[in-house]
Amino acid sequence: MTQTLVPTVADRLRAIVGSDHVITQPDRLVAYESDGLTAYRVAPRAVVLPETTEQVSKVLEVLHGEGIDVIPRGAGTGLSGGALPSSDGVIVGTARMNRILSIDDQNRLATVQPGVINARLTKATEPYGLYYAPDPASQSACTLGGNVAENSGGPHCLKYGVTSRYVTGLTVVMADGEVVRFGGAGLEAAAGLDLVGLFVGSEGCFGIATEIEVRLLPKAEGVRTLLGLFDTMAAAGHAVTDIISSGLMPAAVEIVDHATIVAVEASVFAAGYPTDAGAALVIEFDGTEAGLDDDANRAEQCCLAAGAIEVRRAASEEERIGLWKGRKKAFGAMGRIAPDLLVQDATVPRTRLPEVLARITEIGEEYGLNIANVFHAGDGNLHPNILFDRQNQDELERVERASREIMTLCVSVGGTITGEHGVGIDKRGYMPLVHNEVELEMLRRARWVFDPGGNLNPGKVVQ
Amino acid sequence: MAGTPVTLKGGSLAGALEAQRERLLPCVHCGFCLPACPTYNRLGDENDSPRGRLHLMLAVVEGRLDPSSDAFQTHLDRCLGCRACETVCPSGVEYGTLLELARETATEARRPDVFSRALLTVMGSRALRALFFLGGRFMRVTGLANVAVRRLSGDGIAGKLRFALAMLSATEEAGLERHGRASGSGAWVSAADDGSSLTPSPPVGSAGVLHGCVQDGLYARINEATARTLDANGFDVRVVTRQDCCGALHAHGGDLTTARRLALRNIEAFERVGVDWVVVNAAGCGAAMKEYGVLFEGDAMEERARAFSDKVRDISELLVSAGPRVGAPVECSVAYDHPCHLMHAQGVTAEPLQVLNAVPGVDVRVVAKADECCGGAGIYGMTHPDLGARIGGDKVAAVRDTGADLACTPNPGCMMQIGAGLRMEGASGEVVHPIELLDQSYQRAGYYT
Repeated sequence: MTQTLVPTVADRLRAIVGSDHVITQPDRLVAYESDGLTAYRVAPRAVVLPETTEQVSKVLEVLHGEGIDVIPRGAGTGLSGGALPSSDGVIVGTARMNRILSIDDQNRLATVQPGVINARLTKATEPYGLYYAPDPASQSACTLGGNVAENSGGPHCLKYGVTSRYVTGLTVVMADGEVVRFGGAGLEAAAGLDLVGLFVGSEGCFGIATEIEVRLLPKAEGVRTLLGLFDTMAAAGHAVTDIISSGLMPAAVEIVDHATIVAVEASVFAAGYPTDAGAALVIEFDGTEAGLDDDANRAEQCCLAAGAIEVRRAASEEERIGLWKGRKKAFGAMGRIAPDLLVQDATVPRTRLPEVLARITEIGEEYGLNIANVFHAGDGNLHPNILFDRQNQDELERVERASREIMTLCVSVGGTITGEHGVGIDKRGYMPLVHNEVELEMLRRARWVFDPGGNLNPGKVVQ
Repeated sequence: MAGTPVTLKGGSLAGALEAQRERLLPCVHCGFCLPACPTYNRLGDENDSPRGRLHLMLAVVEGRLDPSSDAFQTHLDRCLGCRACETVCPSGVEYGTLLELARETATEARRPDVFSRALLTVMGSRALRALFFLGGRFMRVTGLANVAVRRLSGDGIAGKLRFALAMLSATEEAGLERHGRASGSGAWVSAADDGSSLTPSPPVGSAGVLHGCVQDGLYARINEATARTLDANGFDVRVVTRQDCCGALHAHGGDLTTARRLALRNIEAFERVGVDWVVVNAAGCGAAMKEYGVLFEGDAMEERARAFSDKVRDISELLVSAGPRVGAPVECSVAYDHPCHLMHAQGVTAEPLQVLNAVPGVDVRVVAKADECCGGAGIYGMTHPDLGARIGGDKVAAVRDTGADLACTPNPGCMMQIGAGLRMEGASGEVVHPIELLDQSYQRAGYYT
């Protein structure tokens, strides 16, 4: 049962952030009981919404002094339960820390508060011909603080790399309220050990980043987007292998299966995929104009050779955006098929994709579950979407067993248990599949260095 | 804890929302709606986000939240009902419908404040409404409303009264006459070289215009302009008597019973005349009437209501389907803002701008963040003075930033809200409906003679 906060503690928090920004009434904590992973629900003791580094520092100092656990939360779009509350913890949310502090177009750097939405940063840097490269599917809603915590990826990370490649400096509030700075001015690892690199992907266990300096990229001169339509997932998988092994360097290669196509086309983001296709590949090239058409032609040949029924090209920016929308909004569109959805995340070597996909389909059949696949095929990052109804207790258990089997399968072919969603609460149990006891102990000790008391996001990642 | 029903303080759970469990399930908690929500953007509290409100509704349905609780009451009441969340929702959650049902549940659990109840009572009765708007027009024509806006100050009751009177004063007709007639000699004639603007197209069907409550009471000129411009574009405009308020305000306030009673009257009135199209010039009314079918879901009336809804069109949709004819120049600049109930509830965005394009000489400047609510939302400025003022203030700033002569938006609530905001800042606060501009343009072109 969720414990209520001692009134004096609540009053001290209110004195720091203002009374409107501390939520303690149990009825109002219901909205915070899940993030993007709805399989779990736990209401926190309170929610605190600070606005500045100083306020975060004072809030953490108070909570640390009282020995109260802290659960950092951005937009709550995460899919591994990283922001799932604990019943004796307090959420420190970054929703009000949503200012872009500076854009340095000469040095191609931006500094933001953690609550800034990923897509908003790209929009704000557009006038300078720049953009922020990591593009999670949830980029219209997820925040940079959350991206840093989860080391988020996205479709274009195939060519450009994930969040860790772009974070150059951090202001971090430690568990006890101490404020420290890592890196900065684009020189993240210039002096000493790379603490920025260590912090990115720490899933809220090391501290709360309150100022984030990121590297921006110049917008590519040109872009070509193809849609390859296939009868089967296996044929699409072969096309992916051929494209990559032919030496091409696509910015993104995304695969969408039949069930997902049907869901997306039924949603407001219908992208015009034919609903009778067995699989669709979204392939994108970007860079200098010269050579782009050649790359696109070669990719088209790979698709046709692998048995594509049809290959389309986006003729305009509008068509391109529509095509991507269909892919990026797939998660939400699944709501049309089933009441609940578990988006799994795992990575396998690209060459093993066809056999792994076939096996996942079998696992779905064995457990009587519908599994839809939409994922980053270029880097072998799978997202099996398992559809279920939480009201059906038996089905819920089958989902858990099927998930474990999928994870075991991915690890057995040389893959791992997450590609970009993080471990959070959902994958914690799978950690021994990929780490031995020595490695797990190293993770615990790394965590201890930052948070000796173990008050930050306890129970997540490793126990 | 998770899934454990609690004993409700207020007795049994109201049925309205419970029956809608199926509508709540498509929400997968993805959070894509958060950045689209004007209240979440300003408050940062997930209880004030669409996802949070849907979760509160789900908690009521699951029996673990009391509908009379502060959380359910406060956060549902604080929703503007702008439905910007529906535009970005990949799961197609019917938020607007759910909100109305949730508000019915909320008002059953706890009576709304006397002010809101009084307003709904007045709007639901033809006689009271006539009296109310007669008083309004008296205040407007005598200039008392304007004087009060200048003299009143402060917060509390005086502040609310001042805002209400500013809304009233914003309904004054803009002086379109004074705006220039031509940028160059014969400019508009050349725009019509193909002859399309000179002769109406062949008859394109019969149309009846919804008079509405606020439109009829304070914006009769827009209803008249609607009929004239339709006629000039070849529609056979029929008079539809015995029609009533569309019921949108009641539905939004959770009084679905009155909303259905009013809807039924309108369905009967328009059926009696037998028009091809039911034309609406108020975004809020159009959105509600296009959803009469949903309002009567499961009722014997459902099929009739759906057939009626299929005929409902915003005036801009109908005019664009017929052309519209290009008129004579009206030289002015307008700051255009999208009404939420056109853009998000009806998916109509391009048509009003196409109507403005039929008026040579108009310089249309779409305001920044035109897809965000102006804060009008019925009488939000009075029920939520602080938050309403913040949302409204941002919109007024965006309108002023355009430097345009007039504000322009096709919904009476938004016209009043933006006009009031401008007037409270001491600006002239002239606001026009796009149809008023088209009408002025047609008058100058001689289409009505």
